[in-house]
Amino acid sequence: MENRYAFFPGCLVPARYPAMEFAIRQTLPKLGIEIVDLEGTSCCPDPIYFKAKDKLSWLSVAARNLCLAEEKGLDIFTNCSGCTATLSESYHLLQDPDLREKINERLSHIGMEYKGTSKVRHIATLIRDTVGYEAVAETVVRPLEGLKVGIHYGCHLLKPSKIMNVDDPNDPTMLEEFVRAVGAEPVRHDKWYLCCGKACMDENAPDEMMRDLLTTVRNVEAEILCLICPTCFGQFDHGQYRIAKKFEEDFSTPPIYYFQLLAYAQGLPYENLGVERQRFKPECLQRFSMLDTVEEPAS
Amino acid sequence: MSEAQAKKKDVVRVDFAFRRELAEKVEGNLSSFCYQCGACVGDCPSAAYVDDFNPRKIMLMVLYGLGDELISDTSILWSCTNCYNCAERCPQDVKPAEVIISMKNMLADRGIYPEGAEKIIATVMSCGRTVPESSAVDKQRAKFGLPPLSRVPVEDLEKLVQPAGAGGEE
Repeated sequence: MENRYAFFPGCLVPARYPAMEFAIRQTLPKLGIEIVDLEGTSCCPDPIYFKAKDKLSWLSVAARNLCLAEEKGLDIFTNCSGCTATLSESYHLLQDPDLREKINERLSHIGMEYKGTSKVRHIATLIRDTVGYEAVAETVVRPLEGLKVGIHYGCHLLKPSKIMNVDDPNDPTMLEEFVRAVGAEPVRHDKWYLCCGKACMDENAPDEMMRDLLTTVRNVEAEILCLICPTCFGQFDHGQYRIAKKFEEDFSTPPIYYFQLLAYAQGLPYENLGVERQRFKPECLQRFSMLDTVEEPAS
Repeated sequence: MSEAQAKKKDVVRVDFAFRRELAEKVEGNLSSFCYQCGACVGDCPSAAYVDDFNPRKIMLMVLYGLGDELISDTSILWSCTNCYNCAERCPQDVKPAEVIISMKNMLADRGIYPEGAEKIIATVMSCGRTVPESSAVDKQRAKFGLPPLSRVPVEDLEKLVQPAGAGGEE
């Protein structure tokens, strides 16, 4: 069976965090997944601001992106929870014949027609469903034994669950399994369910949310915080730095995008991970690099 | 005052014009199924962190058509985190977060829109992404052996976003 999928990169990963894209392109072929690039994809568009302006325009632009994959006859995978939310929801909404007709009328202006033939999945879901956790574990040459990894799922990968259909939103296990697959130990912070507050436009609430969230991450003594969304990543990298300063607290858990963690466990040198631009660098990983060169006695 | 008169005084007049306008939006009419159980409130982070934000009350105002407060310059709707916890808890599949987004569409129709949001949309419409292409971006990409960002056909996006005037058939 062919394992080829259309890659929908979105905006943040290719433009702001190319290290994440690099990690995806490093890790997927090792799992037997062939990445097919799509020509001309735009912003998904974003499920917060663009959608708030006009849902029909939002849906039309999303449908155009879906059409690009349909033209290749491939299912789509995404690498950002926001893109996953927009494209999955659009796929869901466009099953309604009236709405589809309305959107197709718009698409006709650019010579396209939405047919609903390409399914949408987040890259993590895709790997779980087509390759499985065990196959991921088999690609690991540098098991991250003893590494305590906190996990923040974020909101849009899981909810609304009837549309996303990924995991139990009240007790998800997918990312825990992925962390175990690289040999590390997942830990759950008390406020794992709390939103990072990014989309809330209240003056104080988002910072208060982040403060409470980061306090529980610190309490479980996670060495690193694993994420599968570039927006969450931003909140936990530069955002964490800002919150630590604002509240004068010691918040300093380095965040990492799961596929960078996997790339490292698959043997990519630490120096090639592209973490040097992070505010909090995952230096705790380097102890596993030391184990690579055991020919020289440690002391 | 007679009992009938007293009752009349407490009557809330439902503003159906507001409700009809909301129902025009994608999934805008879901609130009709709300029976005010309040399940949406418990896990709502905005209800916990923002004074006066309460998804059940917002849905009640929608049912009554009390749009003046919601569709205003100081609308509390922008405090929604879009986390969809309310939708998870709702036994009626109302999806309060979705109804709130529909009302944000109504706000946007009236030109009431946070500046930051406006900026992001302008960026998407001008270059197709929330982050514009630049030589700095391409330089970063090159470090990882990745090709420069490809151009997005923004002329196509324009046709999708403003089709009504463009073709004149609608």
